[in-house]
Amino acid sequence: MGLADAVANVKAGQLVALGGLWFHNNPCAAVRELARQQVRDLRIVAAPPSSYAVDLLIGAGCVTQATVGHVSFEHLGFAPNFRRAAQEGSVRIIDADEATILGGLMATVEHLESHPVTSVKGTDIGRSFAAPRNRDGIVAPIAMRPDVCILHAQEGDIYGNVRDLGTPFCDPLFAKASKYVIVTVERIVDNLSIRENPHRTTIPGYLVDAVVETPFGAHPCSSHGVYVHDEVSISAYIKAGVNADAWRREYFGPYVEEPASLEAYIQRVGGAERILALSEVVR
Amino acid sequence: MNGCSKDELMTVLLARELRNGDLAVTGASSLVPVAACLLAQRMHAPDLTLITPAGVVNPKPTRLYRSASDGRWVEGAEAIGTAYDLFEMSENGRLDVMFYGGVQIDRHGNINLTGTGYGEDGLPRFRGPGLANTSFAVVSGRILLFSAAHTPRTFVDKVEFLTAAGHLGGPGEREALGITTQGPVLCVTPLVTFEFDAEKCMQVRSIHPGVDPDEVIRSTGFALREASWPRTAPPTQEELSLLRECVDTSGELSA
Repeated sequence: MGLADAVANVKAGQLVALGGLWFHNNPCAAVRELARQQVRDLRIVAAPPSSYAVDLLIGAGCVTQATVGHVSFEHLGFAPNFRRAAQEGSVRIIDADEATILGGLMATVEHLESHPVTSVKGTDIGRSFAAPRNRDGIVAPIAMRPDVCILHAQEGDIYGNVRDLGTPFCDPLFAKASKYVIVTVERIVDNLSIRENPHRTTIPGYLVDAVVETPFGAHPCSSHGVYVHDEVSISAYIKAGVNADAWRREYFGPYVEEPASLEAYIQRVGGAERILALSEVVR
Repeated sequence: MNGCSKDELMTVLLARELRNGDLAVTGASSLVPVAACLLAQRMHAPDLTLITPAGVVNPKPTRLYRSASDGRWVEGAEAIGTAYDLFEMSENGRLDVMFYGGVQIDRHGNINLTGTGYGEDGLPRFRGPGLANTSFAVVSGRILLFSAAHTPRTFVDKVEFLTAAGHLGGPGEREALGITTQGPVLCVTPLVTFEFDAEKCMQVRSIHPGVDPDEVIRSTGFALREASWPRTAPPTQEELSLLRECVDTSGELSA
């Protein structure tokens, strides 16, 4: 299945889960495709620490509600579109964290209405919409069942058996809790290769609905074990984000709308060899 | 101070506070606490367990990487956990030390990473990054605070949004919520090391070498009990050599 076809499964108004963590293993190519297709009114939830995937969809005007813990480019800077949307109130931000997001996903996989998280205490996060109280007064996030989850991993076979070469982080839980699971992978490997190392499979194929070979599909984020994050691209993204017009003109246009294919995008950011050599320069 | 940088100083001071056998977790933008854990392992705490926010257990890198969840922390580590493993720690306890910084840190050690300048409409004039895990402030045996910025905007009387619990409103408030852990025990900045007094308010435990006490008072947004503050013992040659030769081999902290 091609990326455009896989992403066409995402419909306006749906709850979409975005995998990865910070600027690592984000499903960036898939999210840019979603933005190109102008899918609107999405509600999104991301891994507790998130960055590019969340910020780009917000900047592209695809999001009405975001359930998020931390959104930033860590030491490289703030997430500009997220920050602006939160300050202007153009997207409903639901302040969450690891316990409330994972609690909601776990309620789903345990087939419960809600999942108590006893450790959320003494915080204003505990007063947000993401953290309702149960009858005992304990914070108990309501079961969260994403309509679609979009993940990026390094290897997978045509049956959707997926192998993360770095940290899987939230991705396996997102896959278990979501109705439709799309995984982009750096390379499709033979089923025999999966069978030779079954203990290395991080998401088994029965959880996955669509697997798409998407080389460099995490750029400008890192793809653990294959390439590191691209500080030049990320810094340009943050700089363009100084205001909404500049971001659309300097980032969304040249890097999301204009490239006719993933190959064209990769050429525009300096080519495959440059990305693979980033580990020599990125500190 | 042996010509060391602010980050190197803060790393050494945090390392001294870690104990052998501690299980420690670090958060975002946590180069200094990660380096402190790796340095403590080389010194007095060989059995300290470090878990990065990506769930990497006991990384043994040949250099430091600036992103806490860079994939290069994985090589040579002892295990790779998922977010569920961090959830287990945040619900089940187990954790001895958590490090927090903040957009705002108040006199009771409460943390705001969410936003400031909230208007009538509930919107912040400045939206911060938010926090991935507030539970660690509840379950971690103790909290070590750190901040690269020591300004009146960072060190405030009261946080505008309470993202992670310090000592809340003062003595007894954690206990009243059923929280049994110590909460923040100190805060390391480029100017001082703060500790908490009987009222659970930050006071200067020691002032770093070469720092003017007036600068500390001017840079702190709440009143400090003034006394002749003792000087922080500067990093020793041994501490700095270990840090530079074994932990921070590429000089990320010395810039």
